[in-house]
Amino acid sequence: MKQSYTLDEYNSARSVVGDAITELGGKDERVWLLTPDIGFGCKDFQTKYPNRFIDTGIAEQDVVGISAGLAYDGNIPFIIGMMPFMSMRALEQVRTDVCYPNLPVRIIANYAGLTGNGGSTHYAMEDMALYSSLVNMTVCAASDPVQLRQIIEKSLNYIGPLSIRIDPGKENRVLYPADTVFEIGKGYLARDGKDITIIACGEMVNYALQLHDLAKDAGISVRVIDMFTVKPLDKEIVLKAAEETGRLVVWEDHLMKNGLASAVADVLCDNGVQLKSFKRFGIPQVYPGFGSAEELYHLYKYDLDAVWAYVKSLF
Amino acid sequence: MADKNEVLRLLELAHQARRDLCKLCGMYSGNIHMGGDMSMIDVLTCLFHRTMQVGPDLVQVPERDRFILSKGHGAACMYIIMAQKGFFDYQEICDTYGNVGSKFGQHPCKTRLPMLDVSTGSLGHGLPLSVGMAASSRQKGRRNRVFCMMGDGETCEGSVWEAAMSGHALKLGNLVAIVDRNKQLMTSFSEDSIRMEPYADKWRAFGWNVIEIEDGNNMAQIVEAFDRLPGSNTEIPTVVIANTVKGKNVSFMEQQIKWHAGSLNEADLATALKDIDEAFEKQKEGL
Repeated sequence: MKQSYTLDEYNSARSVVGDAITELGGKDERVWLLTPDIGFGCKDFQTKYPNRFIDTGIAEQDVVGISAGLAYDGNIPFIIGMMPFMSMRALEQVRTDVCYPNLPVRIIANYAGLTGNGGSTHYAMEDMALYSSLVNMTVCAASDPVQLRQIIEKSLNYIGPLSIRIDPGKENRVLYPADTVFEIGKGYLARDGKDITIIACGEMVNYALQLHDLAKDAGISVRVIDMFTVKPLDKEIVLKAAEETGRLVVWEDHLMKNGLASAVADVLCDNGVQLKSFKRFGIPQVYPGFGSAEELYHLYKYDLDAVWAYVKSLF
Repeated sequence: MADKNEVLRLLELAHQARRDLCKLCGMYSGNIHMGGDMSMIDVLTCLFHRTMQVGPDLVQVPERDRFILSKGHGAACMYIIMAQKGFFDYQEICDTYGNVGSKFGQHPCKTRLPMLDVSTGSLGHGLPLSVGMAASSRQKGRRNRVFCMMGDGETCEGSVWEAAMSGHALKLGNLVAIVDRNKQLMTSFSEDSIRMEPYADKWRAFGWNVIEIEDGNNMAQIVEAFDRLPGSNTEIPTVVIANTVKGKNVSFMEQQIKWHAGSLNEADLATALKDIDEAFEKQKEGL
């Protein structure tokens, strides 16, 4: 596929990850790349910096422990893995070996949410809940190639552990102009609006932007916040949206409990905010079967049609 | 053969460490993992006082050796030997052990004790960490070693064997794993429960250089084993399997399941110290 950072063209998150880490590896001797046999985006780095590349084979606990050992010695290890296994199989290593000593290990993992058609063993439905529970961990869900590249670049000098979930990473629409500035820990106001706010992350942002356009044609003004940092959550942007639009939708490719919606609800509850409406869209309490992401979003009623039908019903 | 005076010096240090550990256990209201502490104390003495290039003056030196206490519940034993080495004040350990705000707790915490190489406690985590440290040293061209002390029960954890594969794959001759093979877990004897033998063969099968110490509480044998570690620039990691006795040198602790961890009342402390002194006299005679 042609690599592009031009608006509305396509790129693959895999190559974005590989390019960004290889570039960092050239600039900074502290950068290592490790993978538990996932390997996307590794080729260039491995060729250029073989002494700072480790493939552990299918061993997520090991790859995290080794990364922690490297980080203790002043290195900045990036791990490329698959999110269901990075977030579950290696959870204790991430917590105890990385987060407890607050080490700068970066975990970039694909197959977030119901992407990839792998069935329930291969869906990362709980990763944001699990990683958000870890003290010191920063949890990101990238929505487009421009943003993903920027998070990786900015992670170099970021304090403490950081994770980024992406979809399979094969085909990703560029949602933002190349000069867009993203700040880790801050929500990004992707579209302004006054009637209702959609807070989305990752895959769902693409749909939220489409919904914004549909709504505009129907005379409804929809604010879209790309909450690419799920933890620490940008409280100010949530409270401002609540105050200014009075209605919130939270949309995520993750269990709709204990993910982004729950984090947003915490902010609202902790601040005693009363809304006209609050609605979450995401994975219900099921182990989903097979199908394309679009088919599953439809089946579990959090596709564009379902959310648009809900938004329309309010006005 | 190890030099007799050197063995005697280390024996005296191990003897003092045993006494200090028992006294700490007598002072502290909670339980201390005495069984596994007393089984590895002789090896730890040799490591800190002879084998490893470590010390309070070397903490900031990148070329120093690294020590990872993967069996983190042996922290008390490590604190005491590190105190002998000048890292800590023994009295401070006794005065504060396990208290709110203390630097010295049941498992080593690098956040509280920056001079440690790592925080540990959850079993099976130390060897992957050690592989990372050894790989880093290798890449930076250092000639140091990374030592990782594990309990034998801990090697039930699959992550240990993931790291065993990585250590071999990465050709880390600067990595030294030590297994305190006391043949007991918390609630069972290893050969009754999970049947670890043939144990050394497992490591050989993973491509490691194996050094076995027949009596891992015999200082002369310990010294002899660690003195023949291959050079840190070699390409095969080494595991030293020390066959030890849990609760070693205290009559009522040795090979007793109930003495995985415990606390000592005044009478038991007196018996323990008497046992330790008697064992020390015998060890000296045996030199």
